[in-house]
Amino acid sequence: MSGLAIDDAAWGSAWRTRSPADKLLLSVGLVVGALVLPVWPGTLLVGLAAVALALGPARVPARTFGRAVRLPLAFIAIGAVTAVVEVGGGGLGWAPDAAARAGALVGHGLAGSAAVLLLATTTPMSDLLPELRRLRVPAAVVEVASVVYRLLFVLLTSLTTIREAQTARMGHSTVRRSYRSSGVLAAAVLTRSWDRARRLQDGLAGRGMETGLRVLPEALPSSRPFVAATVAGLAALVAVTLAVA
Amino acid sequence: MHIAEGFLPPVHAVGWTIAAAPFVVHGARAVGKEVRERPESTLLLGAAGAFTFVLSAIKLPSVTGSSSHPTGTGAGAILFRPPVMALLGTVVLLFQALLLAHGGLTTLGANAFSFAVVGPWAGYAAYRLTRRCGGGLLGGVFAGMAVADLATYITTALQLALAFPDTESGLAGAAAKFLGVFAVTQIPLAIGEGLLGVLLFRVLTVNARPELERLGVLTPTPVLEPEKARVLEPEKARGTDDEEGQR
Repeated sequence: MSGLAIDDAAWGSAWRTRSPADKLLLSVGLVVGALVLPVWPGTLLVGLAAVALALGPARVPARTFGRAVRLPLAFIAIGAVTAVVEVGGGGLGWAPDAAARAGALVGHGLAGSAAVLLLATTTPMSDLLPELRRLRVPAAVVEVASVVYRLLFVLLTSLTTIREAQTARMGHSTVRRSYRSSGVLAAAVLTRSWDRARRLQDGLAGRGMETGLRVLPEALPSSRPFVAATVAGLAALVAVTLAVA
Repeated sequence: MHIAEGFLPPVHAVGWTIAAAPFVVHGARAVGKEVRERPESTLLLGAAGAFTFVLSAIKLPSVTGSSSHPTGTGAGAILFRPPVMALLGTVVLLFQALLLAHGGLTTLGANAFSFAVVGPWAGYAAYRLTRRCGGGLLGGVFAGMAVADLATYITTALQLALAFPDTESGLAGAAAKFLGVFAVTQIPLAIGEGLLGVLLFRVLTVNARPELERLGVLTPTPVLEPEKARVLEPEKARGTDDEEGQR
């Protein structure tokens, strides 16, 4: 399950203890850069910066990062090719500047994905969600999202276990059986999620839950040098791009 | 199928975010109100979100040999209503972007519009319409889940067509292109998801009848064997599978 791979990388990253706000500033800066800067050399530099920072100082395993970058590639490739094929009177053909346009789309897509992954592979969701409170997302929404994060691994484990049991009993041997098993699997996971929620609720009610789920957030102080380097780096990126383009 | 990060031009990314915002904010208000009145719903809503996320990890065998992932928003809309799904779907999209590298941050608005707004509403409308016309629960579920999936895919294709119109044939040509390319995987997937929904709800009506009645999916009927209406335990899930194996 690749979701666990990215999450594992986030927990094991050398940047795990950095302030989520600092990492958010860096990644969002790169994401915006990947989107608005001209593709040459802007997005190339953004992509290189994201990969270098993730594999270098953040020490994200290259295998995990490489696999994760590959995931959106199918969509980017199909989407880019479709965008530059023309439907005219004489059937299908290439758009006038097809190669350049497709290249630009792939560049923006890959650099943007790498920049998002830099955040995803260095910051666990449980650090990121309290940060949403500062962006004025309602507390109730952040709490629901935190419960989603805490429950989904339990449910993914259930899913894997049940599917393994089904496969061992020939539950996925034919397409027909596979559909049947998938339906049972989805039902089992859904009823288990309700069961989990009810048990958590009982436990919390017994401890007097009145004002929502209050957890003690880990103190991850912001680093001035990191923020200064981020701002300087992003400014340099924009300057170089504008100078070359 | 979500639009990848960086794929939409900035104007479109901002535009779709603005388009999706009212629905998501409305959903957030609904959730906030629910949680203030009944703090215990936080956990049930979280469970619903986690289920929607996990449902996309169930691989459906496809006729063409490859396997596809269901979107799951149709089931969510039937069980929890579309306004709640607008918010839960957006939360799930954020999780998919950051945990599965599927979708993106600047395209979150566009994806939320197709996946969390249009899909659930279209699916829910199809579900209600089918049930009103006498299609029954399972017929409604099939229509709801298949339509939610199809509507999401058509919206995504139109979003891409708007962003990249054809130089010669314009918007219509671009829409035909994107609809055609993604139809190969999305139409079998929509049918597959409808079938999965039927199988899912067939199990739920046996194993989780009280929950379905509480959510208003089924009208309460006198239950003959209350001990049957319990949460599906793993032994029972395997039991069903065993029966299948022996047949």
